[in-house]
Amino acid sequence: MSTTTRVSIESVRPIIGLEIHVELRTRTRMFTGAPNVAHPEFEHAEPNTLIDPVVLGLPGSLPVMNRTAVELSMLVGLALGCRIAERSVWDRKSYFYPDLPKNYQISQYELPLCFDGSVELPPMTADGKIDLELLAVASAAEESTPRHRIGVLRAHLEEDAGKLLHDSASGATLADYNRAGTPLLEIVTQPDFRSSAEVVVFCQMLRDVCRFVGATQGVMQKGHMRFEPNINAELTLSDGRLVWTPITEVKNLNSFKAVGAAIEHELREQPKRWLADGVEFGPGSKTTRGWDDARGETFVQREKEDAHDYRYFPDPDLVPVVVDSAWLDSVRARLPELPLARARRYLREFGLGVKEAAALIDEPAVSDLFDAAVDSCERRGIGRERAGKLAAIAVLQWGLKRANERTAVRIRRAEEAGRSGATALVVLASDLGVGAEQIAGILAMRESGAVSAASADELFGLLCSKEDEPGESAGRGGGYGPGADPEVVAEARGMIIVRDDSAIDAWCEQVIAADPKAAEDVRSGKVQAAGRLVGAAMKLAAGKADAKTVRARLMEKLGVKE
Amino acid sequence: MSAAPPDMPPANAMDLHDRAALLASGERSSEDLTRDALAAADRLNPALNAFIEIHHDAAIDQARASDQRRSNGRSLGPLDGLPIALKDNICLAHGRTTCASRFLESYRSPYTATAAQRLIDAGIVVVGKTNMDEFAMGSSTENSAFGPTRNPHDPSRVPGGSSGGSAAAVGANIVAAALGSDTGGSIRQPAAFCGCVGLKPTYGRVSRWGLVAYASSLDQIGPITRSLRDAALLLSVIAGHDPLDSTSAPASVAPPCPSHAPSAPSTSRPEPPTIGLPRAIRNSTGNHPAVNAALESAAHAFESAGARIVEIDLPDGRDAIAAYYIIACAEASSNLARFDGVRYGRRADIGPSADLEALYRRSRTEGFGPEVQRRIMLGTHVLSAGYADRYYHTAQRAREFIRRAFQAALHTCNAILMPATPGPAFRLAEKTTDPLALYLEDVYTVSVNLAGLPAVSVPVASAQIDGKSLPIGMQLVGRPFDEHDLLALASTVMLRTR
Repeated sequence: MSTTTRVSIESVRPIIGLEIHVELRTRTRMFTGAPNVAHPEFEHAEPNTLIDPVVLGLPGSLPVMNRTAVELSMLVGLALGCRIAERSVWDRKSYFYPDLPKNYQISQYELPLCFDGSVELPPMTADGKIDLELLAVASAAEESTPRHRIGVLRAHLEEDAGKLLHDSASGATLADYNRAGTPLLEIVTQPDFRSSAEVVVFCQMLRDVCRFVGATQGVMQKGHMRFEPNINAELTLSDGRLVWTPITEVKNLNSFKAVGAAIEHELREQPKRWLADGVEFGPGSKTTRGWDDARGETFVQREKEDAHDYRYFPDPDLVPVVVDSAWLDSVRARLPELPLARARRYLREFGLGVKEAAALIDEPAVSDLFDAAVDSCERRGIGRERAGKLAAIAVLQWGLKRANERTAVRIRRAEEAGRSGATALVVLASDLGVGAEQIAGILAMRESGAVSAASADELFGLLCSKEDEPGESAGRGGGYGPGADPEVVAEARGMIIVRDDSAIDAWCEQVIAADPKAAEDVRSGKVQAAGRLVGAAMKLAAGKADAKTVRARLMEKLGVKE
Repeated sequence: MSAAPPDMPPANAMDLHDRAALLASGERSSEDLTRDALAAADRLNPALNAFIEIHHDAAIDQARASDQRRSNGRSLGPLDGLPIALKDNICLAHGRTTCASRFLESYRSPYTATAAQRLIDAGIVVVGKTNMDEFAMGSSTENSAFGPTRNPHDPSRVPGGSSGGSAAAVGANIVAAALGSDTGGSIRQPAAFCGCVGLKPTYGRVSRWGLVAYASSLDQIGPITRSLRDAALLLSVIAGHDPLDSTSAPASVAPPCPSHAPSAPSTSRPEPPTIGLPRAIRNSTGNHPAVNAALESAAHAFESAGARIVEIDLPDGRDAIAAYYIIACAEASSNLARFDGVRYGRRADIGPSADLEALYRRSRTEGFGPEVQRRIMLGTHVLSAGYADRYYHTAQRAREFIRRAFQAALHTCNAILMPATPGPAFRLAEKTTDPLALYLEDVYTVSVNLAGLPAVSVPVASAQIDGKSLPIGMQLVGRPFDEHDLLALASTVMLRTR
């Protein structure tokens, strides 16, 4: 085109909005009691086994709203700063496709459940990750320079479609309706993102939020969350004019990497396309593209996306969702502290490191276990900051070590048995069967010096549930169970440190007598030789003595001052 | 007249209550009654075509089980052992559920509709599934893929529709009662044509779970019977909240009848009732003279019984027809989208081509009759971008206007009296070439569905036409969820044949 050949593009300003589909992990479907494949208990179901007349859209079947799905959506909406509609309506969106049993999808069009929210983007590191450190210290700075906020236009509920599988052997298309009717929360942002990095950080943050409110497991490989960026760009031309490229919607991205790469690709390609064809943003110019992960390219799926006529109208089989203040309040009361707020608290209140805080907020259950253990320690008289440090050791060292070991064993056994699906096999520190009270009990004993550090770690292991399949020693668990009192176990295992001076004296005298050479070396100033004697005394004490006390008594007996 | 005239129903045909008394006294067994019903069905169906499927063996099995219960002193109540029929758009996990459509001609439902299940749980014997207009779209039962049903009072005439098979089966005394469904008059109009009682309950009174949807916001299952007390009894069994139907009334709503006791509905009110008579309908030239005469005598009967008659104004029925056909077709176009040949029902043979659109188009073209196709296209059009405002949303506003007008009218009267139909049963093929003329058959019935109100059609007279005695039905429209009072008032005008 003549106008485009004469000018050049001076700068490209990205304009990006995002649609996110979240499969909710309710036990049953959005509109019927059939099990939900997005719930961990049913995720391995064989095709077309999670079905009933409603799922298949059989004649005469009717939808009934799943209240839990609405509540989970409200929680996500509240976490995104949305308002919750007092009245929202189910609409039918009509289009024919074999994965859609009724050939209409029940969705919310005019009146969504959640609307008008916004989320503050967290500070980001140079490599595009959430900067927890800055997040923890930046409170003063953020007031002077407010962070970039992303508007959330709406979050509405709908039902997912089934899956079509193309059997290359027979050339047939096979339909699996296990996913049809799964509750799906669609979140739509304003086109407020100005870079792919902002989008990726938002996606990560949203995933964490959804997992912490219990809306989803958030396993990306299983499609629990699917991202669809709407991308275009404002081009500043050499002649000073501004033009806008047509919007591209990239469908069904299910990894953060793909989201970033697809946006980057489009932002590179759109200016080139404009130079080539001169097509600008306008009615009918929107296209839908897919993402080829292997080639790192988007490809055209549908032109003229906005030309579709879905013939929306209110579903007469359903009644409007009326959220009164009592219901809203009860849901609001269940809104947990969100992950970034937790991380910030861990850094500020307990002085934990960024890595520790990040590890704790990686899993909601682990974070919850940690918080509960801290509270319990506090009730046992340990100062709050100290309690945080101790609980972090228990969860992230004693716990994580054993959890990782169990995970490795499970994966190996699954591989030997020819099964896959590693994500279902991951064991968390919170899955070991050791509760917050038990952790606090161990930590309180350790803090009072009643058990040694090594005994505390071992005690944690003993309190772990027994693993069915025999594994490595540390991961096997003592099987004392969640009800066991750590003090009773420590007593039974002879782990309580002896404070009786005469006993310690007796062990010291015994080792001095047994190794006169070492004793003489220490007396003559070779203090390093004391280690051998302390070690021998500790062996006699069989863990019931504290090494520091033993050493002090030993040195005193040898007449050496330290 | 081509078909041989079937046996006329005996004037003293027994209703469910009479038959229940025979069972209770041990005079007849359920198997006796069921065999009578099956024999009558076999004898009359070749001429009437009231049944799509007759469940010979299953009905006898159910009857024997009922007799067994009774002899063990474990009778399930007044309905236990009584044979009835179900309209073929009510799902039954036995036999086929075809909706009188080629599309579903071999479809078997894996589950039973709530209303049917409640009857089965009360011991009812299902003798068969009755003919209807395809997917309940029609007013004459001529739109059936399995041929038209004929009126037992004159086989050259239609039984009305869409529940024509149910009304004909009751009118011919094959069964004492049947279930139908009413979206725009589909119970009341055929009941009027066949000389039966037809009750459309308040919207939400009866669960729609298992009723194959035509227009979800209007559809309601109801009984077609020989007496008002039977209508009350059947309603009391099929009514009630159903967790499987979001639009069914909550359990807190009072039941339709004070008790399940098989007694005739009666009314005891402090003041005499007021009956509203729509001014424009009185002596309307659009009505058959026999209908106008019947309306006046019904009004007179009310007055004689001490009721006060007040003239009221209601929105023009022709506007209601327009709103009704837009809303019903819009919902139907969406409800019937699931019939695509992919999962169940008719699947066109499109050969080796993998053309999805051809599969859809061919399956639906082969599977749906012309009236169903017409309504799907109409409904698709009125919901389309650029037209939805002009048609669908305007019709919704009209519906709200009609609903309020009825609400206001029922504030001044206990019930509204009007004809069920403009005339007696018309002849087969008389109106098939002019869909609009046929749509006008519903002029007195569709408003009630738009307003969600209960209404009952009762036989009040008969007209002698061409040497045949054709029933005339009057309609009484009541207050929401007060079917008991409605049926009690209707007894004032009900034609006494017994």
